[in-house]
Amino acid sequence: MSDETFITLLVASVAVGLFVVASVSVPNFFQPLTMLNLVTNNWAVISLGVGVTFLLVSGNFDLSVGGVVALSGVLAVWFAQSPDGANPLSTGLGFPTWLAIVCALGGALAIGGLNAFFVVRLSVPSIIVTLGTMMVARGIAQVITQGSQRNTNLPDDFGMLGNLTMFGTSVKLPVVLMVILVVVAVFIEKKTVFGRLTYWAGENAVAARLSGIDTAKHVTYLYLFSAAIAGTVGILLASEFKSGFSNRGTLMEFDALVIALLGGVAIAGGFGSVVGMFFGALILAVVTSAATGMILSPDWQFILKAIAVFLAITTQTWALAWRHR
Amino acid sequence: MTVMSHISVQHPASTTRGDHVARFLRNYYIYFVLVAVVVVLSVANLDRFDLFERGNFLNPSNIINILRVSAPLLTLAGAFTLLMVSGYIDLSVGSAMSLSAVVYALLAINGVPFLAAFGITILVGVGLGAINGFLVARLKITPVIATLITLSLYKGVALLLVQDGVSAIKSGGGLSMPGWFNSYGREGVLVGLPMAFWVAVLVTIVLVIAQDRTLLGKYAAATGGNPTAAKLSGINTTRIVFLLYVIVGVSAALAGIARSSFMSLGDPLSGDGMELSAILVVLLGGTAFSGGEGRVLRSFVGALIIMALTVGMLTLVPAYYQTLVLGSALLAAAASNHLISRKEKAS
Amino acid sequence: MTGQQPSPVLAVDGLTKDYPGVRAVDNVSFSVEQSTVHCLVGENGAGKSTLVKMLTGALRPTSGSMRVGGSPYEPSNPSDARAGGIATLFQELHVVDELTVQENLTLGMERSRFGFLVKSDLDDRVVRTLAAIEPSIDPSARVSTLSVAQKQIVEIARAASSGASVIIMDEPTAALSEREVERLFAVIRRLREADVTVIYISHKLDEIFKLGDAVTVLRDGKHIATKKLSEVAGRAELIEMMIGRSVLQTYAPRSTVTDETVLAAEGLTSELLKDVSFHINRGEIVGFYGLVGAGKTEIARALFGADRVSGSIRFKGQSVGRSPKGAIASGIALVPEERRTQGLFTSLSIRRNISVMNTRRLSSGGVFRSSDERAAAVEYVQKLSIATDSIEKYAEKLSGGNQQKVVLAKCLFADADLLLLDEPTRGVDVGAKTEIYDIIRQLADAGTSVAVFSSELEEVLGICDRIFLLFSGSVQAEVTNGPDVDPASILNVVTGGGAHAVQ
Repeated sequence: MSDETFITLLVASVAVGLFVVASVSVPNFFQPLTMLNLVTNNWAVISLGVGVTFLLVSGNFDLSVGGVVALSGVLAVWFAQSPDGANPLSTGLGFPTWLAIVCALGGALAIGGLNAFFVVRLSVPSIIVTLGTMMVARGIAQVITQGSQRNTNLPDDFGMLGNLTMFGTSVKLPVVLMVILVVVAVFIEKKTVFGRLTYWAGENAVAARLSGIDTAKHVTYLYLFSAAIAGTVGILLASEFKSGFSNRGTLMEFDALVIALLGGVAIAGGFGSVVGMFFGALILAVVTSAATGMILSPDWQFILKAIAVFLAITTQTWALAWRHR
Repeated sequence: MTVMSHISVQHPASTTRGDHVARFLRNYYIYFVLVAVVVVLSVANLDRFDLFERGNFLNPSNIINILRVSAPLLTLAGAFTLLMVSGYIDLSVGSAMSLSAVVYALLAINGVPFLAAFGITILVGVGLGAINGFLVARLKITPVIATLITLSLYKGVALLLVQDGVSAIKSGGGLSMPGWFNSYGREGVLVGLPMAFWVAVLVTIVLVIAQDRTLLGKYAAATGGNPTAAKLSGINTTRIVFLLYVIVGVSAALAGIARSSFMSLGDPLSGDGMELSAILVVLLGGTAFSGGEGRVLRSFVGALIIMALTVGMLTLVPAYYQTLVLGSALLAAAASNHLISRKEKAS
Repeated sequence: MTGQQPSPVLAVDGLTKDYPGVRAVDNVSFSVEQSTVHCLVGENGAGKSTLVKMLTGALRPTSGSMRVGGSPYEPSNPSDARAGGIATLFQELHVVDELTVQENLTLGMERSRFGFLVKSDLDDRVVRTLAAIEPSIDPSARVSTLSVAQKQIVEIARAASSGASVIIMDEPTAALSEREVERLFAVIRRLREADVTVIYISHKLDEIFKLGDAVTVLRDGKHIATKKLSEVAGRAELIEMMIGRSVLQTYAPRSTVTDETVLAAEGLTSELLKDVSFHINRGEIVGFYGLVGAGKTEIARALFGADRVSGSIRFKGQSVGRSPKGAIASGIALVPEERRTQGLFTSLSIRRNISVMNTRRLSSGGVFRSSDERAAAVEYVQKLSIATDSIEKYAEKLSGGNQQKVVLAKCLFADADLLLLDEPTRGVDVGAKTEIYDIIRQLADAGTSVAVFSSELEEVLGICDRIFLLFSGSVQAEVTNGPDVDPASILNVVTGGGAHAVQ
């Protein structure tokens, strides 16, 4: 069993263990709907976690995803709003919905490109770059929405994607897309050359270069990949709420990083998996929803996240040391 | 002895023009930027003036206003510089600042006298810094992760200290803030500037001296410049790093006091984003991300620039441009820092 | 001290260091007199660096003892060594670029009151020490503005002013120009005048004759001799002692060498390399032999495109040398000098290491064919007899020799027509060494060209058909291997003795 499988199993058993504890001790927790909600309520963060996980495995941070969620949503709304609004915030560019979505994704990819340019070409530490682009992305969204939101004068079909329910159930399209994304990401990670390149680049950049890998190009792809996911999430959220809100996605970059860390992804690069990240998300979901179930104030979530990440990092370090003793 | 005659006094090969240019840029460009920002703001059309007096940007009351709101960032800049010089970072400063602000306001509103409230809040800052220092220096958790953990932790505690349904600690419900609470950050005590500003200046002076005259300053540079050499020279880098985190914690507490006093409430979100501003001013001041290089005073000037820009901008464009401008400034500072470093290496 | 009978400042008695399966240092005893420059020579693998590591406290001896100034000396870390009066100048510099020269000189020794730095005689002393050994360095200059040679001198001055009575210098001239070497020598002589003892390790025999008072020769971990240099008859005697009569000539001429030029390099020039030209034929094993700093790695990396140099490199008629990626695509693969940091993905399994240079062979449409991938890993594990119970084992967990075989497997898997092997058997046990040599011969027999970059004479004499002798960045001579090649004359060339008299 590889270290990665070991850590993933560890994370999965913690998730299951917490779930059992929560089911026993929290009233009304053990219900099919609650369990389903653990996943469906977190589709956005889990989706972002996929891109963030790949980047962490390659040895880079991406804290810009929350900003990109806001930007792409706002852009999509602005592009789609009809041009004859009564005031600036209800006046858009009047693109057909599909074109608005494509252009909004373009905006998201531009932020990804900016990340890649600063990290790869200028070798600025990724944490600083993506903090900067997080602000730039959200800043543009704030300028377009004048610091609030755009939610009027939208074509009817704009709200379709985010509210489409699937297979005759209450499960919405974004959740299904998230599941597909996770499955595809696991496939890419485990089975494809692209996935392997990510590990090689993150594990030993020097050896990767001397083995003929264009690390710069690969990291560029990863930033674009992550921005595309974040852009899609932003558009879906904008569609779901039929609004472009400049504060949407606040702290999502933080949560995406948290679930990756809970899932055993190492920030040093070369170690971690999407499956681990998924279970990390479940841990966080169980903890926060159990806390809500016990009628703790929602303010507790910050403390719980801090404790969870701290415990995750220390136990994972100890577990690996114990395994290699 | 024939060999000795070969040795002539010669300039080191690497002291080239490029090196001098890079050094000069790193040392002084920040002052040119300050002048440029002030000039631009002064000549710009200030029609949209609502916060400040109409007319000249260089109006004394404008300057005083800017310096007044600048106190928290000015307080943080120096300590944050020393920490980054040693090659470390603290993303929790904003939360630490919020938590201190809430604690200070709680103490004040419950009738604790000024000096006691002030002292207790600073002790809280010591504690918050010590937790960071413990996680990073002792447990060896990567600084970014360790301080993201505490960012969340301190923020959560700050939010919990404020009652449900209330956004901040402030006068009301039978309790009211004492008079001194507000005056610390607002009322002029010297050339029209409040205590909070003078404390920021004092902190900066202390840290400039610490950087130039104490073991701490020198060892911080050695730790960031060449950690192996520092350790081989017998320097206890763990202790240096711990101490620097504590100093940042104290600065965050002082910044929190200044902010809550200025706003006359204890807002658990008041420090949000402060870590970004701190990184921005430190990079603007020419501190290298790789550690070893950076000056407290230049970051102080960097903080003045950012505040002048932020406040000045409010007079020109709507407030919702702020995030975009600050983010762009952060990227620009990072890029120029990179260019200077490359110039230094190339020479 | 000058009037007195010199007493040994450092005495080593019966020092032994065992590694699993290897005795790196074997019962070595010698003493070093005060205020001398004592040289330590020996071929690669003779035990010099292990000995130095024991002196500096980085390694504990298996048995034996050391005495400094007559009292027992048992360092367990570099600080202990420093406290015992022994300072070491490593090849990697330990100065803080961002501080001034003077700040570096006093680093860790400052006088302070309540944490505040106070002026003391220390500042004057370090400045005086620096001025005494190298007056041209300005104490107020920032170290980042100094050259490598000047930084080295700053480190020496720091060691001297910290009260070290012995300074160990390990290949200090490897990165220096000739002019800088002269300056360093002057510094060392002044140190000697100031009653500091220098233990000087170098491959460059001229330096040793120019500088040294005494010399200790090690061979295969054993102490061969400690002599005054005035009593050494010359380079020939020293070389004789270094190689003994034991250089095994296992080379058998190979019949598959062709005359077809595969690679031709013309006028390669960089900071270190000086107009290097050579060619390599198909099916040939070519050696590049030289000591530390002679330019071996630089040539290997230039051919592979990892560093840019001026000059032309043509491989099978095409111009190469622009990027590793391009080199691999045109059929060149490199086994780098440092396998752990440059060659291997230590926290990935053997299977996940092997495919890196040629993913196309195992994938269709960007997707790995899992069974092929496993089969390939199993095949190469068997082919190179990598000792492991599973292809899923982490590279980290393998022994040095097996790790090196994984790196080699990576390159073989790339189907390269030219293999560049930089120190292919460094840190590899004897058994694996022989196996690696066999693999190299088999490859060449099958038509692959191999370039071996090595600082071990036995290695190049054992397997190479042709050998280029390098000294300080240029090719000094080309030797066709055969029974009448004289190891002593080769050693003479690569230690700076000039190109005459080979063959």
